[in-house]
Amino acid sequence: MDNNFEFDTIVVGAGHAGCEAALAAARLGKKTLVMATNLDTIGYLACNPSIGGTAKGNIVKEIDALGGEMGVNTDKTLIQLRMLNRGKGPAVHCPRAQVDKYSYHSEMKRTLEKTPNLYLRQAECAEVLHDDKKVTGVRSAQGLTYHAKTVVLATGVYLNSRIIVGDWTNDVGPNGFSNAKHLTKSLVEMGFDVRRFKTGTPARVHARSIDFSKMILQPGDPDMPPFSYLHDSVENNKYDCHLTYTTAETHDIIKSNFHRAPLFSGAIKGTGPRYCPSIEDKVNRFADKERHQIFLEMEGLDTDEIYVQGMSSSMPAEVQYQIYKSIPGMEKVEIMRDAYAIEYDCIDPTALYPSLMYKKLDGLFCAGQINGTSGYEEAAAQGLVAGINAAMYIDGREPLVLKRSDSYIGVLIDDLTTKGTNEPYRMMTSRAEYRLLLRQDNADVRLTEIGRKYGLVSDERYAVFLKKKEETKQINEILEKQIKPKDFKDLFERKGETVINNALKLKDMLRRSNITIKDLQEEYGLFGGFSKQALEQVEIDVKYEGYIAKEKEQIEQFNKMENKKLPDDINYDEISGLRIEARQKLNKIKPQNLGQASRISGVSPADITVLIVYLAQNKKGE
Amino acid sequence: MKNNEVIAAISTPVGRGAISVVRMSGKGSIEIAKSLFKNMPEKANELKLGRFNGENFSDQAMCVYFSSPRSYTGEDMVEFQMHGGYAVANAALKTLLNNGCRLAEHGEFTKRAYLNGKMNLANVEGVMDIIDAESVTAAENGYKMLTGALDGKISELQDKLTDLLAQIEVALDYPEEDLEYVTKEQIKDALSEVKQKTQNLLDTSSKGRIIKNGVNIAIVGKTNVGKSSLLNTLVGYDRAIVTDIEGTTRDTLSESYVYRDVKFNFIDTAGLRKTSDVVENIGIERSKKAVENADIVLLIYDGEKVDGEYEEIAKNPKTIKVFNKADIKNHGNDVLSVSAKTGENVEKLKEVIYEKIKLGNISSSDVMITNARHIDCLNRALQSLDRANEVIDETLDCISLEIREGWQALGEITGATANEEVVNRIFEKFCVGK
Repeated sequence: MDNNFEFDTIVVGAGHAGCEAALAAARLGKKTLVMATNLDTIGYLACNPSIGGTAKGNIVKEIDALGGEMGVNTDKTLIQLRMLNRGKGPAVHCPRAQVDKYSYHSEMKRTLEKTPNLYLRQAECAEVLHDDKKVTGVRSAQGLTYHAKTVVLATGVYLNSRIIVGDWTNDVGPNGFSNAKHLTKSLVEMGFDVRRFKTGTPARVHARSIDFSKMILQPGDPDMPPFSYLHDSVENNKYDCHLTYTTAETHDIIKSNFHRAPLFSGAIKGTGPRYCPSIEDKVNRFADKERHQIFLEMEGLDTDEIYVQGMSSSMPAEVQYQIYKSIPGMEKVEIMRDAYAIEYDCIDPTALYPSLMYKKLDGLFCAGQINGTSGYEEAAAQGLVAGINAAMYIDGREPLVLKRSDSYIGVLIDDLTTKGTNEPYRMMTSRAEYRLLLRQDNADVRLTEIGRKYGLVSDERYAVFLKKKEETKQINEILEKQIKPKDFKDLFERKGETVINNALKLKDMLRRSNITIKDLQEEYGLFGGFSKQALEQVEIDVKYEGYIAKEKEQIEQFNKMENKKLPDDINYDEISGLRIEARQKLNKIKPQNLGQASRISGVSPADITVLIVYLAQNKKGE
Repeated sequence: MKNNEVIAAISTPVGRGAISVVRMSGKGSIEIAKSLFKNMPEKANELKLGRFNGENFSDQAMCVYFSSPRSYTGEDMVEFQMHGGYAVANAALKTLLNNGCRLAEHGEFTKRAYLNGKMNLANVEGVMDIIDAESVTAAENGYKMLTGALDGKISELQDKLTDLLAQIEVALDYPEEDLEYVTKEQIKDALSEVKQKTQNLLDTSSKGRIIKNGVNIAIVGKTNVGKSSLLNTLVGYDRAIVTDIEGTTRDTLSESYVYRDVKFNFIDTAGLRKTSDVVENIGIERSKKAVENADIVLLIYDGEKVDGEYEEIAKNPKTIKVFNKADIKNHGNDVLSVSAKTGENVEKLKEVIYEKIKLGNISSSDVMITNARHIDCLNRALQSLDRANEVIDETLDCISLEIREGWQALGEITGATANEEVVNRIFEKFCVGK
């Protein structure tokens, strides 16, 4: 056997999904090959130089809590850090970082290179090899055969991709990296339903051509906790972004060039995301909106390139100049790279189990944008789950399936595999039912034990977790302390809280809306030596106790349905009482449990009752 | 659907029978029973005769309870064996619903039994029959006829809430957009609008009112077509002054009569005609009001000389057209011909009225809530919206949580879920994204 061609796991693609998948599998002891068309695409931030944001920031925290890499790599390379939604409630606090896209790539590549069991290979995967039941490896376009027990497809936007700038198109991937021309055929042969999605990116411009004095400064937030639970602080949170707006002139230019926009001429056929519209789409759909925001973000510390967020477009290059020049501060713009739209092949994710393994072929996993998602964080999350589950499959262990009640990752994968998606899927906090529990501050509480069980949480990470857990326990004990009225009267009066004549526990004081844990800390000299993160978590848990209890109760009920398993071999056509639509959907999705079944559109509560009866008759589902 | 609440339902088929069984399941059901039933059994599995003290009624009944896990559902359960018939069981159920229970979903007792590991082959046998039977009952009750219009109303409410949630959620998911984010005042206004509409819909839930107060039946028609005579015949004694002189009935008269298990409140009205008599004019105004407020209108024609009268009233779905004076001229079997004088077909008229009530065709507005499950969903929606209002000073995520709960309660009627709708609405209405 040749060491270069025999693997446990082959990961196709080295983007954010591929990196997490490969690291997870290799760290779980699997000999893992990462195959990418170009190794310079490892961890490449093809769109904006930013990680996190609403819901996505929570996902990064979850990846970290499970033992993934994204949070660690973000902390290493970030140049600005902010907490979005401060003042809107802890359920929606979401961290977001601006990162140096070049060091993000090189740090990630370095991490992969240094990981034992992990091999990197520049090659285009042309075909997935398999027998009737399972995958056996891949064949490269260059003609080499690589054997493996499992294959994770994390092809991103590279499958048959094509970029579009006006009338000019080019059959390449993001930023001109070569695309993957052969694999789609292999996917079709294996029975995948292949569709075509579209996304886009704005121009990159030279910093010296921008008059930042005409723009609004967007600095980072001070005192931000790092993304990774492993880190105490981050260093480089000190660079600014800038905000400007489109003008009436911008909109006029765009409108008078609608006829040249590939988006409207029919040249673009892929389905684009509604939440990430190009500027021509925004002007078209929201004609009465007078201006649109433009954020200018640094691409890195060793480059003068600036990313122009909000200006994604596929207009002809010359029109792009006119558009950009109409924006205050960009009159003298030097465009370095054009904005472009990109179309690519992806699959219908309902073909996958919640483990992300293909239902028709054992050992084949799909993760990231190939599954119809959008975003680095969504991709990384799937990669992590696919990588862990490739290892679990090899070891004959139960796959990791996260629930809607324990993580955004659970919501993400459940949505994808239960409902599918008709456009690139982006995570949003409004997609989660139990938002107050799926917070960014408690991802470790929710997931680190699970990660530990699956073997990806290192001793170091676990020790950090246990320490924080102990801290929160001690803080909670301190909060039980009674304070006499004379000792809180002063504080309450200063904070505008009604003073009462009974002694109060510190915890009860904290429940008052104007009293923070910091107030208690300062007033009574408490909580010395505890980490800010532990204090924050306890504070939120106390202040939102009622809501949290409510969600927990809902989850308990939710889990009753989730725990009733539906065996894979059920033939729904044979269950009398099910409506035809329900039979078809159930046969297609093959839900893992009653809860998942109930979330399939077209399966009614009455159908669920029929399933319950069926399960009981056959003594299944226990 | 929440699985932790106490659920209740009538578990015998709707209709006439010697007894009807009303049962509850869930933690707390025994406590609820104790508060309503006098002479509660001291031990589980013991049947006791006592009194069910409901709202506006009290009746002898038997009661037995089962302790978790030794019950059908595996939860604490209580069964009341009430006197048979529609009214008593419903009144008991309504009492339970107003005392902390919510109406069981279709097949929910079975579902709970299953989720709690209590199902075995023996009880499964009968379940499919029950599911079938339940859908037959639903069809009989005109459920399907109503759902179209009701869905419309509920969707309208959901639509408003979806708008509101989208406005809140866009602020949470897209905090950095150049948008005019929703203010607390706007949330309050939207909430109060939806609450009012929900309340209006609930107010139409006259099933309870019909059970308690009876069904209001206005008798209208031209002067001297025999309205008052018909009333007398319907109730079985002379109540109205009957003369041959047009316009004898100057005031609305009402009289009640219990037919089978429903109380009919007949309202005799003054004949509709133009008159210069002031007193009679007032009477005519009252008649118009009576028609508006009625659940059912009996439009009486003089069978002797029918002409196209009162077309508007005739077209109203709550109207039953009646041709009087069948003793003089019979109009055949296609129309309802009665004779107030001889009593011919008067029993049939009562049956027609009764059927119309059962079919749910009675309506004092375009949509009426008749289904207790719908009432329950609407009530829970209202409670959630009230709570949203109470926490208006809290952060948006908390307000959203309550509104979502309200949305979901409505969704239980239409079978939709909030998340996708809200996400779609955000993208429809707001220009967001990089």
